[in-house]
Amino acid sequence: MSRTPGLLAATGIDKRFGANSVLRNVSLSLAPGEVHTLMGENGAGKSTLFRILAGIHQPDAGQINLDGAALDLRNPSAAYGHGIYLVPQEPALLKELSVAENMFLGMLPTRGWFPSRIDWKTIRGQAQDSLSALGLDVDVRDDAKHLSIAQQQLVECAKALLRGCRIILFDEPTSPLTGREVGILFAIMRRLRAQGCTLGFISHRMDEVSEISDRVSVLRDGAVTDEVDRGGFDRARLVRAMVGREVIFDRRRVRREAEGEPVLSVRGLAHAPVFSGVDFDVRPGEILGFSGLIGSGRTEIAEAVCGLREKSAGSVTLAGQDISTSSIGDIIEAGLVYVPEDRARHGVILPMSIRDNATAGQIGRLQGKSGILNRGREIAIATDTMRRYQVRARGIDQPVGQLSGGNQQKVVFGKWMSTNPKVAILDEPTRGVDVGAKDEIYRLIEELSAQGMAIVVISSELEELIVLCDRVIAIYGGKIAAELKGADVTAARVGAAFLGAEAH
Amino acid sequence: MSNAATAASQPGHRAKPRPRRRELREVTLLIAIFAVVLGVGVLRPSFMSFSNIEFMILSSVVLGLAGISQTFVIITRGIDLSVSAVLGLSAMVFGLLSTTSSMPLWQALPLCLAMGAVLGSFNGFLVAWLKIPPIIATLGTYSLYGGLTFIYSNGLQVDQVSPNFAAFGNGNLIPGLPVPTPVLALAAVAAAAWFVLNHMKFGRNILAIGNNAAAAYNAGISVRRTLLAVYTISGALAAFSGLVFVAYTGSATATTGTGDHVELQSIAIALIGGTAIAGGRGNLAGTVIGSVFLSVVITALVFLQVPAIWYSAGEGLMILAAVTLGARRSSKA
Ligand SMILES: Nc1ncnc2c1ncn2[C@@H]1O[C@H](COP(=O)(O)OP(=O)(O)O)[C@@H](O)[C@H]1O
Ligand SMILES: [Mg+2]
Repeated sequence: MSRTPGLLAATGIDKRFGANSVLRNVSLSLAPGEVHTLMGENGAGKSTLFRILAGIHQPDAGQINLDGAALDLRNPSAAYGHGIYLVPQEPALLKELSVAENMFLGMLPTRGWFPSRIDWKTIRGQAQDSLSALGLDVDVRDDAKHLSIAQQQLVECAKALLRGCRIILFDEPTSPLTGREVGILFAIMRRLRAQGCTLGFISHRMDEVSEISDRVSVLRDGAVTDEVDRGGFDRARLVRAMVGREVIFDRRRVRREAEGEPVLSVRGLAHAPVFSGVDFDVRPGEILGFSGLIGSGRTEIAEAVCGLREKSAGSVTLAGQDISTSSIGDIIEAGLVYVPEDRARHGVILPMSIRDNATAGQIGRLQGKSGILNRGREIAIATDTMRRYQVRARGIDQPVGQLSGGNQQKVVFGKWMSTNPKVAILDEPTRGVDVGAKDEIYRLIEELSAQGMAIVVISSELEELIVLCDRVIAIYGGKIAAELKGADVTAARVGAAFLGAEAH
Repeated sequence: MSNAATAASQPGHRAKPRPRRRELREVTLLIAIFAVVLGVGVLRPSFMSFSNIEFMILSSVVLGLAGISQTFVIITRGIDLSVSAVLGLSAMVFGLLSTTSSMPLWQALPLCLAMGAVLGSFNGFLVAWLKIPPIIATLGTYSLYGGLTFIYSNGLQVDQVSPNFAAFGNGNLIPGLPVPTPVLALAAVAAAAWFVLNHMKFGRNILAIGNNAAAAYNAGISVRRTLLAVYTISGALAAFSGLVFVAYTGSATATTGTGDHVELQSIAIALIGGTAIAGGRGNLAGTVIGSVFLSVVITALVFLQVPAIWYSAGEGLMILAAVTLGARRSSKA
């Protein structure tokens, strides 16, 4: 159990999907007992590289060696055989099967001769033991669909250990986790490392990377652009390697005190026990930040303001018009849009093209008297969206699902902004988006605000709030806990406020 | 502050074992069956006669066998529309063989299973190797196998079977035990199917594939071979149900099976019984009880003297009602 795996080295890896060259002459080595992090923008090829190491994809060229011996990783079982396990980006547990069965998938022990029966007792016992060893308290007889994402990841870790795998690759595990869950995962990763396991890790979050990694490799457009050891982690250097240009995070203009009449006024908004007593105003050209932990009620408040969720009391006024009881269609028509956090579920229709998505918000206006869509206008709007929002894609007919997270988000923006709203509420606008695209999205938001749009940014990233917002409201336990403006918008104050430490 | 942070983050809540809703489903179905039997029995006392109850149970055997084969296929996220055509072809082939060439049952039975297995494995080949969506592949073979029945029968039909066939269809296998042989056959098949699904690797692989075929493949499960086996078994069971049908009714025509839309009935039974159309979850006991339910409903329509032209529509409404209620319950749970 405590044997340290050998050096896993991939050299000269090429990988193409059709005409798309995803990895070009990539070399990566994972030294025994280290945590080796891959960084890179969305679409750089990080997942593809891990999948090749785990036998899911086969490289077009190059080879993989373990302790000097060449490996033939023709399928994942072959990789398990050599002790390599990938915890995938999207958890792949089988929902309708028990946790225990999931852990033994493909290697269910049996007993007796013909017909040999599955040995459920052993399965349950061993599954329960290995989960307890990781500190996960779930009943292994329960269906996997009842587990949270964090729990599913720990089950995947246990699966790796059950298969005797000592090289465990984590593909972007922390994106869907809360801060506390990240802490638990990191504690387990540290323990595995202490036991001699080699760990691969992918993350976009700089603080996480510097906390856990022994070594960082940066991928850009399918090639390794930099490799840095612990101690040499320098934020600017890593970002440059990832993006290929300087990205300046402290380019923040002066925080302005917006003037004029509020364009959106919310008074006494309540829906016990989720939120209550919510009052705030936003003025044209202002960027208002909404900070708060997940579960603080910030998303629920935004949804209630936009008519997407019930409220039991309160008024919402948009440009002098009371929209408290208006339908969603009327609210959008009046000029208030909500861009949700979960792109895939609410923001865009992944299998549909950029053209269809970009025009979905105003399909009514594209209809002629005959009821037939005006194709020329459609193309014009979609092309304009791509240009204005710098969407990188093959063309307006490429399905949105094929784009990187950042580019998907730009299409979502384009879709909503094409309705010319007066106020836009953006929920976690850069979730799952890499640094380069993040920067572009920040520029977009600032541009829109400079044109006079009022913008509310909901975010759990401190940096985002500080870089972007003129004013920050902290939500804690469904109430406004603090309001910070001007010189008070600092990391310390905002951070304290959304943890509930700052009184009103 | 640390206090607040802890309170606000979600605790890793412990997932408790839930009550099994499958058992609930079976109970609900049994209650529905008793309600229909009692209700119709009050209006038409002969509905509750021993002979009618025996008839309803016997006719549910054919449905039940087809339903079990369909259940396996649906668990893999597939569908087998050709079960009725295989049933009809088998009934015609073995009905005619029993009379024209007086083939004894002990020869007919393995031959019938083999024929069904071949027809089913062709479906499996289309689905697993040629990657044709199951609904399209089996729609094609539905027409193909149905057409073979017409060609083979060439205008003939079965109106009686040899005594040993009839004894299989209507007799009691175990002397002194008043249980018709087909009912024993269904019980044996259902028990074997249950064992396979719950206690054998093959069965667990079927469920894994239905949950997520790519993940199953990544775990080292041979997806293609498993699918081939599932469709092969489905064909064999469908052919067996055709043999039972011709043995106990003593008749078969070129539209046996397809004419009654047994393919749709078998799907309905599986869904009523609690098998998920999206795959990954199956309930064999539910399928068996569902076949009794459907058989009772169909017979009730006859006893209530509903005009024959209404049968199909009435049956359809019952199926929709049962499936809708079932779907609502499972989404709530
Ligand atoms: N199975 C696949 N088929 C075709 N293209 C793929 C496949 N997997 C990934 N790609 C493409 O390869 C590129 C790199 O993807 P990926 O490795 O997922 O990037 P990352 O994990 O760094 O965000 C992307 O352009 C993506 O569209
Ligand atoms: Mg990825």
